[in-house]
Amino acid sequence: MFDGYIPPALRLSFREMSITESAPSSHSDFLPQAPTGTLRIAVVDRDSGFATVLRKRGESLGWDQRDLTQVPSVDALVAMRLHALVIDPTLAGPQWAETIEYLRGNLPELAIIITTGPSSVGQRVRGLRAGADDWLTKPCHPEELIARIESVMRRRRPVAGLAREPISVGELVIRPDQYQAFCEGRSIDLTRREFELLQLLAENRDTVIEREEIYQRVWGFQMAHGDRSVDVFVRKLRQKIEKLSPGWEYIHTHFGVGYRFSPEIPVAEPIRTIKPKSKTKAKPVSK
Amino acid sequence: MAKRGIKDTDLLDLFERAGKNAAKTGRLLEALLTTIPDGSHLAGEILEAEQKGDRITHAILRRLDTAKRPYPDVGEIHNLASRVDDIVDHAEDAADAIVRYRIEAPMEQATVLGRILAEAAEEVEGVLRDLRRGNDLTSRIVELHRLENEGDRVSREGVAALFAGGIDPMVVIRWKDVYASLERAIDACEDVAHALETLTLRARHA
Repeated sequence: MFDGYIPPALRLSFREMSITESAPSSHSDFLPQAPTGTLRIAVVDRDSGFATVLRKRGESLGWDQRDLTQVPSVDALVAMRLHALVIDPTLAGPQWAETIEYLRGNLPELAIIITTGPSSVGQRVRGLRAGADDWLTKPCHPEELIARIESVMRRRRPVAGLAREPISVGELVIRPDQYQAFCEGRSIDLTRREFELLQLLAENRDTVIEREEIYQRVWGFQMAHGDRSVDVFVRKLRQKIEKLSPGWEYIHTHFGVGYRFSPEIPVAEPIRTIKPKSKTKAKPVSK
Repeated sequence: MAKRGIKDTDLLDLFERAGKNAAKTGRLLEALLTTIPDGSHLAGEILEAEQKGDRITHAILRRLDTAKRPYPDVGEIHNLASRVDDIVDHAEDAADAIVRYRIEAPMEQATVLGRILAEAAEEVEGVLRDLRRGNDLTSRIVELHRLENEGDRVSREGVAALFAGGIDPMVVIRWKDVYASLERAIDACEDVAHALETLTLRARHA
């Protein structure tokens, strides 16, 4: 349930909903099922007060918020594994619409919500056409912004649902809905991180993924030079898979680069017979 | 007048044992750093070595305290015993941090620092053995200085890599502590060299 201020407009919508369908039992029922359970957002805004108020409200909903004062690179956004980006386009400078377009083009699954000061109709249309999912004029109430983020996430839910389909590869069935992989119905007993690693590799089948990229996308941060975390987790993953699916090789190492997921049954090498060398000198054949 | 330097065979025995213990600790920590997270049981062995090191140091101090004739270089001998003990103490700090922070995987620079510490601790073992035999210590002392310099360089590289930008703050906090302990352990090996230099210098000019 809402434990804070409910804008009148929202109260009305609750009432209306209760007539047509059963009202949600808690505020979180409004949230789309985020792929990893927590909604991760980033707020790109110079107004620290705005970000703080939103953070406090978001934290009470279990959201994870990052505050940024400049537009991050696409790589950095990928590393943050965000669901939504709240951005003040003035921070992107005169090329703000191009920036939104670029972000939309590279991160099609990311929800982009623009929050900025008073603007013209032309600017708002341009922003929405560039790829923003919503536009909210500041000053705005944090509850309204939260409701708009939720609304955008709700609209995106069917897309997220597709990614939760099981993946069948070799003898493995990878179940994103259960954060687990199975072999002939038996759980491989993966930890969350091992599962995310397997999912990433399996979704990019037959493609070599660099260690740094794996780390960014699974751990959500840049990889420190010299960090062997990816290798350790790949080793653990291989060991667990091999226990239940010993006849297959799934993850292949590309030395100095990264890993590739390709389910293969290794071809057994022919057994070579080695002739023992005779230590004694061959006796001369007697005539 | 009592002769300068360490002539007491019991005391030399104790130093030899302290050196062996330091070398063993260095090898254990090197193994732990390369086998994270599987080698966490090695941290227990390192803790045992640290406790053993404390007992040896106490025995040295007791011997200095209860000697019939006072040692002329008691300050330097005490300093030497403390520095050898420091190696094991700081190595144990590093091992403890690895386990306590639940570090998930090795870090290349830390693995190299572990190798350097193991080599330096072996030099310490050797130099304390040579002290008893009356061998020339110069080459081992030079090697200890070289290893310390190499350790400094690798440690700086490791810390710099943590501050490259975009790194998980938890990774930074964990590894910075481990690097600091490893660097202190390697520094302690060089401090042993300094303490021995002072002792031999005084013995020569007594």
